[in-house]
Amino acid sequence: MPSVSLKRVSPIALPGRPARTEECHGWPVVLSYAEEGGGPWVADLSHRPRWDLQGPDLDRQQPLGHTIPVRPGEVHLAGGLLINRLNASQAALWHLAGDFPEPPTDPALTEVTEATLCLALAGSRLFGITEKLTSLDLAAPGHTAPRLLQGPFGHVPCQLAVFPGPPGPPMLVFTCSRGYGHDMLHAVLAAGEEFGLRPAGQATFEKALTAHIH
Amino acid sequence: MNRLKHLPTLRITPGAARSFTYGKHTFEGLQGDTVATALFANGVRVFGRSLKYHRPRGLYSLDGECSNTLMEVDGVPNVRTETTPLTAGIRVAAQNVMGRPELDLLGVLDAFSWAMPAGFYYRMFHRPARVWPLAIQQIRKAAGLGRLSPDFRMPGRFDEIYPAADVCVLGGGPAGLSAALAAAERGLRVILLEARPWLGGAFEYRAADDGDGVALHRKARDLAAAVAARPEIRVFTQAPAIGVYSDGQVTAFQRGGPDQSFDERYIEIRAAAVVVATGCGERPLLFEHNERPGVMQPACAQRLARTWGLLAGTEAVFSVGHDLGLEAAVDLFDLGLKVAAVADIREDGQDPTLVKALAQRNIPLLKGWVARKAHGGNRVTGATLTSVNGRFHRRLTCDLLAAAAGLTPATGPLTLAQSQLAFDPHTGYFLPRTLPKGLQAAGRLLGLESWAAVTASGRRAGLQAAADAGADCQAAIRESEAALRDLPGAVRGSKFVIAPGCGRKAFICFDEDTTVKNVDQAMAMGFDVPELIKRFTSAGTGPGQGGIPGHNLPLYVAQTGLSPDAHPRPTTARPPLVPTLLATYAGAQHDMSKRTPLHDLQVACGGRMERVGVWTRARRFTDDPRCRTEILNVRTNVGLLDASTLGKFLIFGPDALKALQRVYVSDMARMTPGRAKYSAMCNDDGCITDDGVVVQTAENDYYFTTSTARAGVTVEWFRYHTRYDGWCYHLVNLTDAYGVLNLAGPKAREVLSRVTTADVSNAAFPYMGYREMAIHGVPVRALRLGFVGELSYELHVPSSYMPALWDLLMEAGRLEGIRPFGLEAQNALRMEKGHLIIGSESEQRTTLHDVGLGFLWQREKADQRLVGAAALMQTERQPGRLKLVGFKMADPSGPPPRDGSPIVDARIRGYVCTARYSFTLKEPVGLALVEDGLAQEGARLAIYEDGCQGQLTHAVVTPYPFYDPEGRRLRQ
Amino acid sequence: MAFTITCPVCGPRDGYEFRFGGEDKGPRPEAADLTPAAWCDYVHMADSRPGVQKEWWVHRQGCGAWFTIHRDTVANQEVSLNLLEAAE
Repeated sequence: MPSVSLKRVSPIALPGRPARTEECHGWPVVLSYAEEGGGPWVADLSHRPRWDLQGPDLDRQQPLGHTIPVRPGEVHLAGGLLINRLNASQAALWHLAGDFPEPPTDPALTEVTEATLCLALAGSRLFGITEKLTSLDLAAPGHTAPRLLQGPFGHVPCQLAVFPGPPGPPMLVFTCSRGYGHDMLHAVLAAGEEFGLRPAGQATFEKALTAHIH
Repeated sequence: MNRLKHLPTLRITPGAARSFTYGKHTFEGLQGDTVATALFANGVRVFGRSLKYHRPRGLYSLDGECSNTLMEVDGVPNVRTETTPLTAGIRVAAQNVMGRPELDLLGVLDAFSWAMPAGFYYRMFHRPARVWPLAIQQIRKAAGLGRLSPDFRMPGRFDEIYPAADVCVLGGGPAGLSAALAAAERGLRVILLEARPWLGGAFEYRAADDGDGVALHRKARDLAAAVAARPEIRVFTQAPAIGVYSDGQVTAFQRGGPDQSFDERYIEIRAAAVVVATGCGERPLLFEHNERPGVMQPACAQRLARTWGLLAGTEAVFSVGHDLGLEAAVDLFDLGLKVAAVADIREDGQDPTLVKALAQRNIPLLKGWVARKAHGGNRVTGATLTSVNGRFHRRLTCDLLAAAAGLTPATGPLTLAQSQLAFDPHTGYFLPRTLPKGLQAAGRLLGLESWAAVTASGRRAGLQAAADAGADCQAAIRESEAALRDLPGAVRGSKFVIAPGCGRKAFICFDEDTTVKNVDQAMAMGFDVPELIKRFTSAGTGPGQGGIPGHNLPLYVAQTGLSPDAHPRPTTARPPLVPTLLATYAGAQHDMSKRTPLHDLQVACGGRMERVGVWTRARRFTDDPRCRTEILNVRTNVGLLDASTLGKFLIFGPDALKALQRVYVSDMARMTPGRAKYSAMCNDDGCITDDGVVVQTAENDYYFTTSTARAGVTVEWFRYHTRYDGWCYHLVNLTDAYGVLNLAGPKAREVLSRVTTADVSNAAFPYMGYREMAIHGVPVRALRLGFVGELSYELHVPSSYMPALWDLLMEAGRLEGIRPFGLEAQNALRMEKGHLIIGSESEQRTTLHDVGLGFLWQREKADQRLVGAAALMQTERQPGRLKLVGFKMADPSGPPPRDGSPIVDARIRGYVCTARYSFTLKEPVGLALVEDGLAQEGARLAIYEDGCQGQLTHAVVTPYPFYDPEGRRLRQ
Repeated sequence: MAFTITCPVCGPRDGYEFRFGGEDKGPRPEAADLTPAAWCDYVHMADSRPGVQKEWWVHRQGCGAWFTIHRDTVANQEVSLNLLEAAE
């Protein structure tokens, strides 16, 4: 039997002209788009590996070598890895930048990369866009560190990691069920249209993420 | 019409002409006009005709409180022209008119108003019944407002926004502005909603001063500028609040336009505290012909002049009951209006400055007098005034009758927020007696009138709201309360409602053509409480949402002394306070449905996609609604179905088995490695809710599927039914992580063996087997099931690889004649095989026993308090239940009955679940739920189909499965 | 409806995000000695008392947790446990 290398497909296709692309573990990845502009942007991170971690003793676990934040809603950013504490017995791990790690073998970890759409949205007027999509108060004052909310966004349940900044620009990374991908992208683009929202590539996202690390 | 120029209060831009059409005319308005003011400027006085009597109606107020000025604009009916900004090029037309508004052929109906007493619609036409269809046609032709065709699509751009704030202020007058500033000064996020396009409320057009020489409009605009300068305050103008709910939720809509990204948008605000500062409107005065064109509220006449530069007439008579009415008369006189007389209901208590001002201008002031009748038809030509005691009359010539009984507070938001209102004899207002937590009231709706008092009460409310939202400002609150105490309190108001001796045509509600006489008739028939009178006479149920009858109805009823209600109460306000377009509620119209990873590929293959629950799925792939080719290809060759919507879950942890035992009816401890176990779930009534397969993949580690419809609630279901147990188990929803390809048909094995090196022979991978295999390096979970009754493989594939795998299998199966099949083909195939779909072959009351799956229930399994066990025990031999049976038609040459058709004799005995023509058996077959007495083989079923005109079709109960009853094909 | 419910994981949220799970009636009764009437009462009968009652809710649009709150059914307001205890 001939071995064919099979192509993987993201749940969505951003409406832009890719300028630089690469293939990564079978995923076609857009590093940058031709006209990203300087305004708010949306990037597709659906190809980045993500895990669901559940167990009775999360505080003693070190998934991928990192500790898990203690309180639900807390977020640790370690390199390109985001560790979101969801509740007493569950955390979400999103590997958003850098080389893909070795898949962990711990049975408490379930890979859920394929289960969700993952988008990043950023820009100085980010919250003008998000308040058209959710009643959750993402712009609530008094937060500087990133935090995680679980709630409706675009009328479907999502996990939302909010980076209020500074130092980086306000940024939101969120996941929803993969099946909603097409309609979620439609909703996000429609909400962002008046603000000049444009597609951006992985490189733009990584730059913004780096800004939030430092 | 010449406009007044150089007034500092004008909101129009002279010289910026905007042309538009009205009927056959082309008119010009100015930038800043509303559609109504532009029409008025062009001489239009009759804007439309009333609902029942087709009476001419004109401009009465300016905030859209009644249906008088509803018109068709650019093909959209019932547009509120008073609040719609004029844009160039729009097309305006009158509605509910036969002919022109000025000469409406149905105007003759007014002479027959005696034939249409209160409740005539309910009382006149119910007997004899055969008259009703005729009557309803005629009434519908004559009554009603705008016309809408059934295929109308609302044009425009609609949007939605959910802003959050600490304090939400309703009303952008001085009270609301002061409240917003006070809260913002405490560092809180404030949202301010104002219905009009600008801030300042009832002060922004007033040239009078409070004795300090600074005009009120100047003060109002300065305050508005101060608010605009605060970044913490977000102002939404042209945004009336439509709902106020507990816990600080406020809903509103906002009108946009060419300069915004929306034409109208829905606003839903979450705040910690709410301030209601919605002010007052003028209370309509009841007298004969009180709604003739040319009768308008004094503030309407004043704002027409001050804001839009339009004098509403040449010679006016005023009939008022409040100082603001006197002020309007003085102001309009100074702007060039002749004022023949001012009648004031009050015998005394007028502001002496205003009395003096009237005297200086030689305007007669008749204290204790009131308008009794307006003369004229399409236009007012005169007014009869009467002394309040009814003994003296005077008739005056005029073309404008500015009339109001006084002021009435806009209490709608307070009522919606569950505030208790009580009548206050001093102000004549319904005032809040209690305010729920987090709600404050301020300004003129409390009866305050002076600038200083209104702003001070706003400041106090703003600080109080800030404290409700968590700010520490008790000292400031005390200071503001002290300041308020030193200022003039609530002013005395008039309770007066109706002029003495007025006749049949005094309208309490313009929208519904309800007269005072109608109210009297209702009361004579025993409807003695305002809430009942409102319903019987329809007063306040029209498009104005009670804007005109407002508090007049309860006040009038109280005045008669005939109501058992000792304390008058306003009729209940309900959201939306201002009628809102359905398109606005629909908002941005993002239809959030799920797509499978194969969506685009299936569309490319000719898939007819349709919405099934949350998913969009392929119903079929050809034009043939019976899907003959798709069905036969599965029976003879091999087909490929996208079954990605199946629920897929992992459950693991030390108590995973206990959880499975709790919800699945079978004994889940008895599992064989590499084998799938088919089982079902019931609810506490023993009714079947779900079926699927479970696979044990390791110790304490299981993978299971659910039906599509149950995927979304499965985790919730498990957790609910184990909520008291403290068990340690974990669920992962992988529904979207895996796509599912169902490769089904006698040639399925040949196709599969071409794409994998795994042994897929019948011996190595038997029926009900579970294997994890690689297909071109892609890890796939494979199940050998047979839902459609053939050899088939259910391949669970990581979603991102689904398109690639689909292409691979379609290519690999080319020789075998592989083709996709859709939901319709699957439905027919599985029904032939007698396999169930929960929800098709079951309903809310169908137990596991009823559908013949009772054998799945293992009652002797270790007690895990199985959900539904008690009911399964009780219903096992319960008589009188609907049972699932197969049937064939008595006449096999006819079509199959439609799904859902009742099975009847003298009464309904059951219904058809699914019936299709079987291409294999060459006759229709079906499954039905019928009463147990009809469930025996050979029983004759009479089927009633919609539209059968009493011609029943007959079927005979037959054993099922109809196809391959021994189950050889799925084991081959 | 519009009222706020405090999720033990996510904090105070809009009532729309939750699904009602009935009054708190305690664990499922043992099957032994259970009469059909007693079973039916457990499953279907509710006190529906005007005042404060303990009830189950699930944060279906959020974290998915099942939890109990105390709610005043007349005012349709969540009542904090601390306030309840202070009142007792």
